[in-house]
Amino acid sequence: MSINRLAYNAMKAVVGDRYISEDPAICQGYRSGPGGFEGGTGYERVMTTLPHAVVLPKNTEEVQKIVKICNRYDVPYVPYSTGFYGPRTHCHVENEIIIDLKRCNEYEMDAKHFYFNVGSGVTLGALQQEAMDNGAYTVIGGGGAQCSAICNLIGDGWSPLSHRVGIPHRRILGTELVLPDGELVKMGSLATSDDPFWGEGPGPDLRGLLRGFTGLRGCLGVVTKMAIKTLPFQPEPLVPTGVSPNTQLELPLNRVKWINYIVPTKEAQVESMFEIGHAEIAAAVTKVPKFWRAIAKAEDKEEFWKLWLVEDEESIKDFFIVRVLLVGFTSEEDMQYQERVLNDIMTEQGGVARRTKPSDESWIKNADSAGMWLMCGSYVSVDYVIESLSQAVDHGESYAELKWKYTPPLMPDFGDPGWFQNFEMGHQGYSEFLIYWDQREDVEGVDKFYVDTSKMNIKHRYYTSLLGPHQPMYLTGPAYGPNYHTWMLKIKEELDPKWVSHPPVPFAHDEFVRKAPWMKDMIDWESPAELPGRKW
Amino acid sequence: MNILDSLTKIVGKENVSDTEADLQLYAQDLSLLPPGMADAIVWPGSAEELGKVVAYCNENNIPVVPVSSRTHVHGSTIPKQGGVVVDLKRMNKILEIDKRNRLARFEAGVTWTQYTAALKEEGMRTVMPLLPRPDRSVLTDLLEREVPTNIVYDYGAPTQSMQVVWSDGSLFRTGSASVTGFPDSKSRGANPAGPGIDFYRFLQGAQGTMGVVAWMSAKIEHETKIDKIFLAPIEDLAYGQSFLYRILPRRIGQECLLLNNVDLAAIVADREDDFDALRAKLPPWTLILSISGVMRRPEEKIAYEEKFLAEVLRNEYSGLNLSEKLAGFPGLGRKLMPMLRSPWPEDVEYWKNRLRGACQDVFFIARPDKTPIYVDIMDDIAAKNGYPIADIGKYIQPIEHNRACQVEFSLFYSQDDEEEKELVAKINREATVALMNAGAFFSRPYGEVASIVYERATNYTMALRRVKKVFDPKNILNPGNLCF
Repeated sequence: MSINRLAYNAMKAVVGDRYISEDPAICQGYRSGPGGFEGGTGYERVMTTLPHAVVLPKNTEEVQKIVKICNRYDVPYVPYSTGFYGPRTHCHVENEIIIDLKRCNEYEMDAKHFYFNVGSGVTLGALQQEAMDNGAYTVIGGGGAQCSAICNLIGDGWSPLSHRVGIPHRRILGTELVLPDGELVKMGSLATSDDPFWGEGPGPDLRGLLRGFTGLRGCLGVVTKMAIKTLPFQPEPLVPTGVSPNTQLELPLNRVKWINYIVPTKEAQVESMFEIGHAEIAAAVTKVPKFWRAIAKAEDKEEFWKLWLVEDEESIKDFFIVRVLLVGFTSEEDMQYQERVLNDIMTEQGGVARRTKPSDESWIKNADSAGMWLMCGSYVSVDYVIESLSQAVDHGESYAELKWKYTPPLMPDFGDPGWFQNFEMGHQGYSEFLIYWDQREDVEGVDKFYVDTSKMNIKHRYYTSLLGPHQPMYLTGPAYGPNYHTWMLKIKEELDPKWVSHPPVPFAHDEFVRKAPWMKDMIDWESPAELPGRKW
Repeated sequence: MNILDSLTKIVGKENVSDTEADLQLYAQDLSLLPPGMADAIVWPGSAEELGKVVAYCNENNIPVVPVSSRTHVHGSTIPKQGGVVVDLKRMNKILEIDKRNRLARFEAGVTWTQYTAALKEEGMRTVMPLLPRPDRSVLTDLLEREVPTNIVYDYGAPTQSMQVVWSDGSLFRTGSASVTGFPDSKSRGANPAGPGIDFYRFLQGAQGTMGVVAWMSAKIEHETKIDKIFLAPIEDLAYGQSFLYRILPRRIGQECLLLNNVDLAAIVADREDDFDALRAKLPPWTLILSISGVMRRPEEKIAYEEKFLAEVLRNEYSGLNLSEKLAGFPGLGRKLMPMLRSPWPEDVEYWKNRLRGACQDVFFIARPDKTPIYVDIMDDIAAKNGYPIADIGKYIQPIEHNRACQVEFSLFYSQDDEEEKELVAKINREATVALMNAGAFFSRPYGEVASIVYERATNYTMALRRVKKVFDPKNILNPGNLCF
């Protein structure tokens, strides 16, 4: 089987010989896995396939032309930039093409007005350096500095640095979106001019199509260009030191400082987070899982296990850390003020400051996601939720309880209730639950744990990232909104009547649970005999 | 059964009307747009009743015009194609104030007066636009993205979750309030995004054309412990903007704005008779900057901000006289400070109506360094049309560390003078085109401005209509507005 030759030739005419290929060796490079985020899941095995061809347009006009060709000749496609997001951003149906956007890699910064204007191939690492050279910073999401900035912002896009501005959507300004049928929408100020400095409107805000709480994985079109808001930083340089992979940013401690506090109880941990938010200080406030410390210390897998397996339920249960990043945005006096307020709060809560490295190894610099594979080879953040700090704390307990049922195959974490932190000065709380497993062993438990987590969220009425394409829409749809899935389906059918844009997303997980024999006994929700969308 | 009987069945006869007097009340507003007559007015008391009313209208192809405020200025609530005006003023409950998570949830009919008073009782406050009309709906102003005077919070908009009634009458909760059984749930409704797609974005700036929002949750803040206000006369707007580019990214200030002599005189005049004298005496522009000490060590916070300001002024902006007093206007700062966190008083005629009875605003989003150009454009067009430049109100609201700003020109006129109304309408049209040509972005287009903007934003308009078709396939929700 092959794609229509007329389609292939038409695309070749758009990008030129050099930037289109159906060479199997090239296409192998676009296989989902091995390794990577969600790599090794049953979803990857059941739902992903190799692309038939790969095409690399260089700008919005070329993307538009390719998408229109796909519509004319019925060629399904997946937009792709840096490929972090594992199986969900790879081909799901036969004779599909990948539109690789890495050549859309131009960017410019308007330092005075605190934004970048970037193409889809531009990575967060490049932007962070550019930002800091110009008195600003950006948030490098958990995917890491190697991720496409645009994909990160329309996918997830948060980190401990989200204490000041949490919802990534707020950093999206003027944007170009090629709709699934090839029509171009210019959003925000781009709608009426060439200047992308503003994101909303005119009138109702079509940025609502770019994502929900989490991303849509390209099923509603291709973002080719976006202006991204940065945040004002402080003026002192952060100096890179070390030899890869052990690199750091040396912090100017008079203006930027991480401080770790050990606090006596969970209550004190949570209360201190609330109080820091209410006091309107700090640039990051987070509780991290204890095994992150082992990851940070270990030089290799063996050392990690040596460090980690000395822990047990008791040692995890009684370990309470609050990690705070202070930035003297205004001046050194601002820094000193914040530190005094922080010390007041931590003293009230019985917190003790621990010796903390005078450097940043991860969150400002690169969000060291690569380290997450160190222990077992496979890693997924099963759920990651922006809600209130109140929900974040309870959510962790429920999650930890459920996790026991699936350990093994999941790596033992001795009941650790995950990672939680402040967002938006404590107006919101964030919780994230990571799991690790060895994909050479049993993976079915991981797939089941995913769906069981959704069921737990529904039962306890938690908000969750497991919505939209992340889980079976017919499981989560009736429980949220209610029936948000029916609206998504209507939008999909209006904008992509031929279902060419990354089929069968957003109903891919529904299809997965039907196809995977080991998931059959998990299905206890109603869904139509035939899932919506075109069958490819 | 006729419309009235059907609506009566849903909300009771005391909450429905088609009397001439009631219909007239909703036929026009304070804008320059022509009046339009509804067929009936209905006052639902709950989201469920609202849903039934909308469902009935949808089944019968009857336009629905949602109204929440008591005063309207942009023409968006004028029934342009008849139908049923759904006035949500009975839905005026503050449903909760959660101090720990710093959020409040309130219905569409809650006014600024009611909301700020309830928050104050709890020691809380909200970021808010400049002196909103006391009887305006808080929900509508947030939904319509009225720009707040507060510039310090990186997250900007306070809007969180909402409950919306779609055109088919179904009830839906957006964001993290979408969980089953909300608010009896672990989720508190603190995340506006999702589920699935960002529904809340479609409802913002939509003038009720995508859905009717019944309640909203929004961020609230603790009251400040100490405030200081600084004022500076500004002769050269570019110089003033340069100063704001210098200090606001350093996270100085709580509220910050620039007003010209007309607007500031209209705001602070004790009596209408004082206005002319004040206008003549005030500088062309006044920079208003508040700094605040919050929950802990408030004096120390004020101290480091003041020190930074003093250094910048001494070393870089010696030509700027920023101080706690504006020379020649004793007590002005003391008077202004509480006004920045309050709606306009109920018993005083609204500041924009004090001069001539009515006012047409030309407002848009801009790059701050281009504001002097926009002022010149507005002045030129006004002068060319014979409107006195000295009478134009001008207000510049920095946004998000001064990376952008909202510019608002106010053209005051008399409601009874048809010639003057025509003149102001003409200036509004001409200025919109000229300002757009110079890069101004009209993110919230109302009335005639909408057709100018959407004509230019062709691909956005097309996509907007496709989304509208999904949420309101019969176009019953506030037809005749925006590009619908």
